[in-house]
Amino acid sequence: MSHWRQYLAPALFVAPGFLVFTVFVLYPMAQAVLMSVYDYKIVAGAVSTFIGLTNYLRAVSDEHLWLSLSNSGVYMLFTVPPQIALGLGVALLLQKSSPAQPFFRVLYYLPVVTSWVVVTLLFKYLFADRGLINFLLGLHVSWFSERWTAMVAICALGVWKGIGWSMMIFIAALQGVPNSLLEAAKIDGANPWQRFLNVTIPAIWPTIAFVTIMLVIGGLNVFTSVQAMTDSAPGGSTDVVLTYMYRETFKFLDFGYGSAIAVLLTLLVFALSAIQLRFFRNEATA
Amino acid sequence: MKFAMTRRGALLSMVAGAAIMLALPALAEDVTITFWGAYGNGGNSTQQDALNNTLIPAFEAAHPGIKVQYVDVPYDSLLQKLTTSAAGGELPDLVRADLGWVPQFAKLGVLVPLSDAMPDFKDLADKTYPGVLATNLYKGKYYGLPLDTNTRVLVTSQAALDAAGLSAPPATFDELKASAGKLKDAGFSVFADGGLGAWNIMPWIWSGGGDITNPELTKSSGVLDSDQNVATVQMLVDLYTAGEIPNLIIGNSGATGTSDGLPSAEYANIFDGPWMAGIWKDQYPDFTPIYAQIPAGPGGSVSVVGGEDIVVTASSKNQDAALEFVRFTQSEQFQIEMVKTGQMTVLPEYAEQQNGIAPFYATFAEQLKTAKNRLAISQAGKVDGILNTELTAAFKGEVSVKDALSKAAAQIDQLLAEENS
Repeated sequence: MSHWRQYLAPALFVAPGFLVFTVFVLYPMAQAVLMSVYDYKIVAGAVSTFIGLTNYLRAVSDEHLWLSLSNSGVYMLFTVPPQIALGLGVALLLQKSSPAQPFFRVLYYLPVVTSWVVVTLLFKYLFADRGLINFLLGLHVSWFSERWTAMVAICALGVWKGIGWSMMIFIAALQGVPNSLLEAAKIDGANPWQRFLNVTIPAIWPTIAFVTIMLVIGGLNVFTSVQAMTDSAPGGSTDVVLTYMYRETFKFLDFGYGSAIAVLLTLLVFALSAIQLRFFRNEATA
Repeated sequence: MKFAMTRRGALLSMVAGAAIMLALPALAEDVTITFWGAYGNGGNSTQQDALNNTLIPAFEAAHPGIKVQYVDVPYDSLLQKLTTSAAGGELPDLVRADLGWVPQFAKLGVLVPLSDAMPDFKDLADKTYPGVLATNLYKGKYYGLPLDTNTRVLVTSQAALDAAGLSAPPATFDELKASAGKLKDAGFSVFADGGLGAWNIMPWIWSGGGDITNPELTKSSGVLDSDQNVATVQMLVDLYTAGEIPNLIIGNSGATGTSDGLPSAEYANIFDGPWMAGIWKDQYPDFTPIYAQIPAGPGGSVSVVGGEDIVVTASSKNQDAALEFVRFTQSEQFQIEMVKTGQMTVLPEYAEQQNGIAPFYATFAEQLKTAKNRLAISQAGKVDGILNTELTAAFKGEVSVKDALSKAAAQIDQLLAEENS
């Protein structure tokens, strides 16, 4: 009886959140998995036919999906490391208290809380043919007329908008680095760079792991900026997985295929996260 | 006995009276039909006002017992709202649908085929522009009637003509090509457009004497990659390569848009619709656009039809009332009232009256006589994607025009096969 009671209170506390999670996350996810094995008809009362793995086979042999995936991958590769490096760098600079510190913290964090659509339009103007970037660099580049130059603009936006977030997490982590260890290292004759490498980095290692994993997930899920900046132009060459999935699902009403793409992306993100977790754990114990 | 009779009589009359009283409200109860549309798009309330304050009251006065409730939905979210409502079985009775959506929803089975449901359909249909009517056709049946229409015509900047020493907008492909060099020297692009989808490229294709599929909608190969089409597209690609058409056409979202590039003396010619007049009047009050027919090629001057159709949903419980409203939309009163708010009539018999109200419509009405509908298949959206992708490669010089068109045709063949299976 008392044993049973022991779990009642925690269960009751967890219940509301779990209920919301079940209704709004688990159930739609399960539904998406189900839809992906059907030729799904959206109209009420229409019969959807079970087609097994057809949607998945189509996805694997869909050249455009591979192109979209490569764009998502490129975005991830070129936005995650800069966000970590610059985020950590800014965090180190803004660690010391000074009168200007809160001001700069807010300044760097501002892009994070600004709407994706708004900053995307801003970058669209910056990178326009007659935009500020071309003007300042003295160039005449049509950034959005080629796949790779367009990706430069999209990645630049991703890094700029993301630095503040990793900075904030790193500032919190840096405050947890034991001062005694830093001082001990100083007494042992370690220079600032050695102290950073051998004391700070190991101390914030779990945070680096967390930030990396979250950014990789976010990078592969890039959507709004691409949709609003290039709308996949020219000729679909800047499509990323989610813009392609969105179009197939909501424009062409191919919910089965869209769901299959979503399931595949989820599996990929899950696998990458597992690999990273293992890597960071091994590094930490090594 | 007598008393009993009276009592029975009284009882009977009471029952009868009660029955009548119960029945009366049922008989007199109004039927309410719901009508979704995007008349208020862009914060423009004049069309909504005409509908709510003039047209719907007139309809209700002529049809006692029918009430019409118009619900305005922003254009950008209308398709999504219709899709989710179809999924939830919550569609309204009537929809003002973008003409490109009609085959898509007809395929889903959520629309009433008006050519079956209305005995007088043929009479009504025969009065409309054929190209506009065709937007309602899906697999041999008509799922709606044209409500309002538009088309693209050639819009030219006077500043460009003056700068290049030209007297008139190009009337033919040859005149267009001939003016490109002079315009380039004067700092103008001869032509600009914002993409290579069907809305953009089909006026060129049709005017060049080609088409995208055979009339039976079964085959694109051999039609889209015909010699005429290769010649037409090659002309545009040559102009593009010579720097006389800007890369806006391949989707460069950083280039100046056509609506700004024409009045700001960057572009000499664009294709656009009748709505631009209002936009320019506000944003470029000093700019006077010149409207002319699409430059004629070997196939004449043929543009593309745009606009909206009115459709009745299969789930409507008041279909007769809804059909009655559909008939009303084809009346002179409805069409002319909407002309006053900036819509173009779908009935050529009112074109003259329309041009009297707004003379600049005359060019559009003339162009509409031969304007054609884009490929009326449920996957028309995919056709736009295919054309954009393949033609972009040709414009960039990565593939030949012939190969690009053949590649596009092969993919469209596949869509047609799926459609007809």
